[in-house]
Order: sequence, then structure tokens, then C-alpha cells
Amino acid sequence: MKLYLAFILLLPLMGGIFNALLGRTLPRRVGEVVACGVIWSAFACAVLAFAGFNGPVRVEFGSWLAAFEFQAPIALYLDQLSLSLTLMITFVCGLIHLYSVGYMQDDPAHARYFALLNIFVFAMLVLVLAENLPLLYLGWEGVGFCSYALIGFWYTEEQNATAGRKAFITTRIGDTAFGIAIVWMYQLSGSVSITHLNTMGTLIPAAVVTTLGLLLLAGASGKSAQLPLSVWLPDAMAGPTPVSAQIHAATMVTAGVYLLARMFPLIGGSGTVRAAIALTGGITAFYAATCACCQRDLKRILAYSTISQIGYMVLGVGAGALTGAAFHLLTHAFFKALLFLGAGCAITALHHRQDIFRMGGLRAKLPAVYWPFLAGALCLAGFPLTGGFFSKDAILAGVAAQGGPLYGGLLLLGLITAFLTSFYTFRMVFVVFHGEQKNPLPPGGGGLGRGGSDNSAANILHPPPHPLPSREGEHLELPKIMTLALVPLALLGLCGGMLNLPSYLGHQGILDGFLGSIPGFGGGEKASQGGEIVLQIVAAILSLTGLGLAWFRYTGSRRAEALAREEAGLPGAGFLLNGWRLDNLYGALIINPFKYVARFFWKQGDEAGIDGALDGLARFIARLGGLPAGWCTGRVATSLFGLAGGVCVVLAYLVWVTLP
Amino acid sequence: MIVPLEHILLLDGLLFFLGMGGLLAWRANLIMMLVCIEVMLNAVMLAFVGGSARWGSADGQLFAIFIMALTSAEVSLALAMVVYLHRRRKTVDTDQFSEMKG
Repeated sequence: MKLYLAFILLLPLMGGIFNALLGRTLPRRVGEVVACGVIWSAFACAVLAFAGFNGPVRVEFGSWLAAFEFQAPIALYLDQLSLSLTLMITFVCGLIHLYSVGYMQDDPAHARYFALLNIFVFAMLVLVLAENLPLLYLGWEGVGFCSYALIGFWYTEEQNATAGRKAFITTRIGDTAFGIAIVWMYQLSGSVSITHLNTMGTLIPAAVVTTLGLLLLAGASGKSAQLPLSVWLPDAMAGPTPVSAQIHAATMVTAGVYLLARMFPLIGGSGTVRAAIALTGGITAFYAATCACCQRDLKRILAYSTISQIGYMVLGVGAGALTGAAFHLLTHAFFKALLFLGAGCAITALHHRQDIFRMGGLRAKLPAVYWPFLAGALCLAGFPLTGGFFSKDAILAGVAAQGGPLYGGLLLLGLITAFLTSFYTFRMVFVVFHGEQKNPLPPGGGGLGRGGSDNSAANILHPPPHPLPSREGEHLELPKIMTLALVPLALLGLCGGMLNLPSYLGHQGILDGFLGSIPGFGGGEKASQGGEIVLQIVAAILSLTGLGLAWFRYTGSRRAEALAREEAGLPGAGFLLNGWRLDNLYGALIINPFKYVARFFWKQGDEAGIDGALDGLARFIARLGGLPAGWCTGRVATSLFGLAGGVCVVLAYLVWVTLP
Repeated sequence: MIVPLEHILLLDGLLFFLGMGGLLAWRANLIMMLVCIEVMLNAVMLAFVGGSARWGSADGQLFAIFIMALTSAEVSLALAMVVYLHRRRKTVDTDQFSEMKG
């Protein structure tokens, strides 16, 4: 087991280092093979570890940080949760690496790309497998760094670099809270081991647990793009599409959910924390779903849907339905990676056009993309019997089981969100793949960011500075590997429900049984079977209603009219398009006051105060020095007068001394 | 002792400051400045001689003779330089020279 774990971690790291050091000097194919090979080898090791798994193991590789009583060894903890996540991460990332080979085939910076991608996988695995919080934090920051570097991958465009910085700074706010929580927990318990801390729940005062829980929630909000730190994720779509799929949909953004689930035995003891987590998740899910309904950039729709789906997971954690949250995390990773990769195919085929209003009719042109994408969309929308349907309902059932006005309200919010999700998902599918392509790209023009009352340029991501093929014929060709990578994800997404079928079918779900033994996961009231069936029927109806509404609006004869109206800007659409204007709110509340204060200190404090005082002093000294300098005339007379003056002074002094 | 030391010193001071005043006032003529320096030196010599008489010691008189030798050397050198200077710059006004300005 120790060997497997070492290989799972070291292989991606080695691949990253190899590509970083040698990738540019070796042929492109070598770097690609190494990058994909290490991830698939890590997956193989994870499968072997799964085969040999019989209970949680703690493996220590050596000392990392040790000072006085503080001990943070390089120790890994493999239990059911981290094992299932490791399997998912290595598998999904492996597919995305393969896809990247096709997607990045024209990009000259492939060595940097694959090195960062591999190191990201390493950091994510460290995060998931870490046994103590400092090691987890190392992985946490590692994925943050890789995310920053990959969002700004095409850094020559200023907008991409800004998006990377925004992501980095916003998540850093949460990370600071998380860091404080780690230090505090060490101070309280004298240990940073996760397993140890999770047994401390009853020994720590309730108020402290609440504060710790809120700090961890803040950390998780930053990483998982929950309110109020959600603003970075839509902008993070500036990176290459496989990066969006891997980092900003499937793996990294779920780190917050993982953290909360991991620490749940400790922080779940506080009702306030659970309510805060559930509230954050529920409101975020609803918020992002409303925003997604009005987006017109394909990747931004998916970004908002990611925020919304992670909101569901956080809601699940808050409701104590940890297995449901983990279940949704897994299925979401499959279908969201699938959707992003499908979107990447469509965008590549359309020469990096991302505005869905300029797409249409792709079903006939890209059937190999359409069918997997449709599968992903069905999962996202919670279409009955898909993976997303079961996992979302597991969470909603957990919320329903909690009862009470708060959770009742959140259940209602979750159901509304389910309806919105279905609507915006199929809006996207129908607009992109059905109908006819409307006003193709005007020659020379960007074709993006036109129309709409509030359609500032920032809302449509600029296409990357990619070598655009000059042929404009409707010859949509994609590398085979890109479409092939979609198939396993589509199958997993559709059949993901098999992982954890509801218990009313007579068997305990696989995940329920697998994860149930982890502390905290078995808990949470179970909904009655009848209630769960009713809930699933309601959810299915809502999903179908959303689908029907989208079908009614965006296909057939009404399509052109609906699109024209949306392009002109529906009332209130600008509000949703800009994500409830959160960016403007933060600009007014934080950024502008900060800029003002910074400018004040710069102009008044630094330049006028400090610099002014120093300059003034220097001028004064210079003038003082100018006084005796005036005596250096070079004339004999000056010296003579000086001599005479000196004599007079000496005499006067003598007189004064000798006088009685 | 016929003349009291105080009188000698008074005369001394008078001579010295006369010389100094002349030095400061007569800057337009280098030769006159040399003359004034002689006056000041003589005042000093007088003080030495007076002191020597007062305390009955020969040291002061010895010094006076030293100063005499010194002044004669000084004046002969200085006058040579004045002549040289006048030949080069056609003036002996010290205010015309400021090459030493730093």
C-alpha cells in the first residue's frame, strides 16, 4: 500500500518536473506521452490500491516539519473517501490529459502546459491524501498556484492574466481563513493530524468549534467558489478549455467540499456551522443557476453551472448528507468534465468562438460531440435515471430529512434551482446544437460581445491568441482523440447512478456501504423511503419542465424570435449576466475604498509626507552648506577679514575672561 | 625699568592693529600690504623685546633678531613675486586675483 501511495503521488510530480526541465528540448510527442503516461500509471496504482484496500491506512514517509512539539510528517491517509476521490481524480485527469494532446496540438508552449497540468494532479492528490492539515494546505496552495498559472496560460492577453490574478487573490482570502483555522486547531489540541482532530469535537468549547467551522467554511468558499467568494470562477474560464474541465470543474473546486466533509466530525458538532454551510451552499446554488440562465458565453454558462452544482454539494455537507455530497462530487466530476470537453470541441471546431448566439445547428456537423454532450447535459439537468439525478436527489433527500423551517426553505430553493438548472442546460444545448447557425462570424470581426444592454466586453471571454486556421469553410474537423475522450465520461455520467442507487430499490447503495464507515458519513437522518420517492418524482417533474420550457423556447419557429429578444437584452438580464453585479458590489465596497486609501497613502503619506520631509531636510542642509561656501571666494581679502574677525573674537573672549 | 610693560604693550597693540587695519584697507596694493605686515611683525618684535627687558631674559631679544632675519628673507622673496606678478597681470590689486576659489 505504501508503495502504491508513493507512486500515485510521485509519478505526476516526476512527470511535471520532467516536462518542466526537458519538455522543450525533446520532441513534442515525448512530452505528451510522458504527461499522459504518468497520470494513467497513477490511475493504475490507484486501482491496485483499491484492489488491496481493506480498511483505512495511515502511511508515513518521513518527517517534513518538526519543531519542538509541532509535528507535521509527510503522512498520507487512505480511507474510503480519499480512495474514491483518488480514483476519480486520476481517471478524469487522465482523460483530460489525453484530450489536451488534441486540444493543444498547435500551441507552442506545450511543455509548460503539461508540466503545470501534471503538477496540478500531484498537488490535488496531496490535498486529498494528506493526513495532517499542513500537508493538506500544501496541496491546497499547490492547486491554487497551478490554477493561477493555467488560467493565465495565454498570458500575453492582459485579460487572461488579470483573470488569473483575480482567481489567485480571491481564493487567497479564503486560504487565509483556513490558515488561521489550522493554527488555532494546533493551539487548541497540540496536533494537526486530521484523524486526531476529528476525535476532539467534544473536548473543544462549542463557541470555538463554531468559529473554527466558519473559518473552514470561508476557506472552502474561496476554493469552491461559493458566495461571497464566487466571483473568480466565471473569469477563470480564460484558461484553455481542458484546464477549465480539469481544474475549475472536476477537481480543484471540489476541494472545499472535500475539506468540509473531511473535517465534518469536528465542525459538524455545531448546529450554527451546519446551518451556515447549508445556507451558503443553497444560496450559491440558486444564485449561480439564475446567472447561468442569461449567460451567452458557452464556457461561462458551464462555469456558473459548476458554482451551482458545488453549491448543492456544500448544501449536502451542511445537511449532514456527506455520502450524498461525495456521490454528487463524483458524478459531477464526470459529467462536468464531459460538458467542458464537449464545449471545448465545439469551440475548437468553430475557431474559438464562444458566443452561443453565434452557434447553432452543430448537431448535424458534430454528431460525435453532440451525443456525449447531450448525455452530460442530461446528467447536469438531473434527467431521470442519469447519474446527476440520483446524486442530486441524495442531497435533496438529506436536506428534506433534516426538517425545520431553515432546511425546508433550502429544500424549496434546491428544487427551484433544479428547475433552473434543467432550463439553462437545455437552453445551452438547443441553442448550440439545434436550429441553424445564425449570422456567422463577420469577416475580420470578433463576432463577440455585441448587443445586449449591459454586454460589456468583460462578459465575453476573449478567444485565446491561437493560430486560427484560415479556412472558413464549414469543414468541422476535430482530432480523433478529443471526441474519443468524451465517450467514457458520457458512459460514467449516465451510469453514475449505479454507484449509489436509492435504498428503496432493495439494496444499500454501493457508496453508502463503502463510505458509511467513515466517521460522520453514516450520520444524518435518512429520509423515509416514501418521502424519497415523492421527492424524486417532484425533481423529475421539475427537470422535465425545465427541459420542456427550453424546448418550447429555443427550438422550432420560436427560436429565432427568442434569440433576437435575448440578444437585444431582456429586462434584468444585465443583472444576471454580470452575476448579480457582485463584481461591481465588491468594487464599490472593497476595491475602490482600498484604492482610495492606497492612493491617499501613496500621494499624501509617502510622496508628500515621507519624501517631502526628506527632500525638505536635504534642501535645508544644502542651503546651510551654501552659507560657508560663499566665503570661498579665492580672494586674499576674504581670508584676511576672517583672520581679523578671529583675532577680534579671541580678544573679546580674553577680555571677557579677565574682567573681574 | 624706565618704561613700564603696560605702556609697551599698549604701543604694541596700537601698532599691531594699525598694521592690521592697513592690511585690510589697502588691498589694492600688494606692496603696501607687505609694508603693513612689517608693521605688525615689528609690533610683535617690540612685545618680545619688552618682555625680555621686563623679566631680564635674553630669549626675547634672541627672538627679535630671528624675526628680523625672517622678515628680511620674506620681504625679499615677496617683492620678487610681486614684480613677477606685476609683469604677468599688470596689476598688484589683490582683489583681482581669485584663482584659488574652490
